Amino acid sequence: MALIEARGLTKEFRIFRRREGVLGAFKDLFHRNYRTLKAVDGIDFIVEKGEMVGYIGANGAGKSTTIKMLTGILVPTAGTMQVNGYVPYRDREVYTRGIGVVFGQRSQLWWDIAVIESFKLLRRIYDVSIDDFNWRLKRFNDILELDKLLYLPVRKLSLGQRMRCDLAAALIHNPAILFLDEPTIGLDVLAKSRIRDFLKEINREYRTTVILTTHDLGDIEALCPRVAIIDKGKMLYDGSVESLYSHWGQDKLEDIVKRIYQGHRPGSVKGVKKGGVGLA
Amino acid sequence: MVEERLLFRQRAARYFVILKSYMAQYLKTKMAYRTDFFVQVFSDVLQQAVNLIFILVVFSKVPEIKGWTRDEVLFIYGFFLVPFGIYSGFFNHLFDVPEKYVLQGEFDRILIRPINAWYQVVVETMKPELMVDIVIGIVIMVYSGRAMNLSPVWWDLPLALALIFGATLIYAGVYTALASLGFWTEGNIGLMPMVYNLSQYGRFPMTIYRGPVKFILTWILPFAFVGFYPAALLMHRYEFTGYALLTPAVGIICFTVAYRIWTAGIRRYRGTGS
Repeated sequence: MALIEARGLTKEFRIFRRREGVLGAFKDLFHRNYRTLKAVDGIDFIVEKGEMVGYIGANGAGKSTTIKMLTGILVPTAGTMQVNGYVPYRDREVYTRGIGVVFGQRSQLWWDIAVIESFKLLRRIYDVSIDDFNWRLKRFNDILELDKLLYLPVRKLSLGQRMRCDLAAALIHNPAILFLDEPTIGLDVLAKSRIRDFLKEINREYRTTVILTTHDLGDIEALCPRVAIIDKGKMLYDGSVESLYSHWGQDKLEDIVKRIYQGHRPGSVKGVKKGGVGLA
Repeated sequence: MVEERLLFRQRAARYFVILKSYMAQYLKTKMAYRTDFFVQVFSDVLQQAVNLIFILVVFSKVPEIKGWTRDEVLFIYGFFLVPFGIYSGFFNHLFDVPEKYVLQGEFDRILIRPINAWYQVVVETMKPELMVDIVIGIVIMVYSGRAMNLSPVWWDLPLALALIFGATLIYAGVYTALASLGFWTEGNIGLMPMVYNLSQYGRFPMTIYRGPVKFILTWILPFAFVGFYPAALLMHRYEFTGYALLTPAVGIICFTVAYRIWTAGIRRYRGTGS
């Protein structure tokens, strides 16, 4: 059994469309217009231990929704999944011991207290022994250079500094899987490359499986031999980055992805039907 | 079975350690904003003083109200403050759930941690300094008990503990249920202040209310059980003993139902976009 095995994973949201104006708001009180949005539509996703997979898609394609189902935050509408031996949403309290999650848009650390205090609290939450804790902290410190940040409250950190601390926090319990939702969003070149180096190192050293969503294809090029592309909830491509190049015959990943988002399909990719070629 | 018990004990120990860690963190941040801390405690004590003066002023005009003397009403108030103090310290801020946790998506963070979600919200939002009300309540009970020559018997203490336990669960249940509604409404619903006001009715004798109010406070939002019914039994007035003895059961039912709603709510949670 693969480490992550999701089949036919689907998430529907019922969206309530508000009517305009005061009269509209009044009408909404009595009768609401709902429509169903399929954020994720029957995707299969299988990942083996130690893989680093890039998960990309345009805004609103369903990336975050997939990640939130895999991390146990959302309950899928349909489909099955087994991650690290558990059903995420059902076995949440045991399952989350084995995963680390970083959301680029929102810190997992406590806003008002020093970073080190957040780490100590997480040590309690994940029940990490003091020796393991100290050893890992030292190790992360070496690569991420946290020592100057540890005694500052999170609200005083820059975005790049905060992201480094968030990464360390997500790994303090040595999880089998690390989920990263846009970890490099808003970071400068230097901060990005430091985070990429760290992820590579962690993956090599602990065989941590990494699932990463991003809009920065540099992340994919630097880290992920495998990429999955989702659009309007459907999986468009799931395979090696290399074969993307060979099928599209272009030299820049960005151009290839841009064409895929625009609805072009390569003729030769297995399982994907040939779509319209050329601009409409 | 033995193994299960051991696991339970381990889990309980871990949860207790987590409570202690959060408490330590809380005190550290509070000490950083010391004035804030003392203003909060002071304003709470002031609030209770106003309530107390209200009772004293009313009874300076009349000797008794519907068969209840000043000291008896004081005693009810004193008892009321004990579970109320626990509620203020730990469950009052469940009202943050709809707005802060559901609407703003903070609940994501709660759900990716290996601790019970409800427990996490409680320890994250607690304000343990408000437990000062417990002390005020005990002082008032001792004072008014002496004034009415109440002679304690051996079962008063275990009984009081059971009643306080039940009353606390009623608060926890009602506020958990209200917080859970946030998973459906995705935002604040404004019921909290109304329910809070209603809860304050529990610190007066039920005999002063009309039928419908009495019915609501007993069977719908059972705030009669957080003050009046148990307090009457503890001051050895036995007209409402049947009700008083129901307190722990009402608490357990109330919390169990509320916790079910909470779990159903979590399954509906959908977070914010991206």
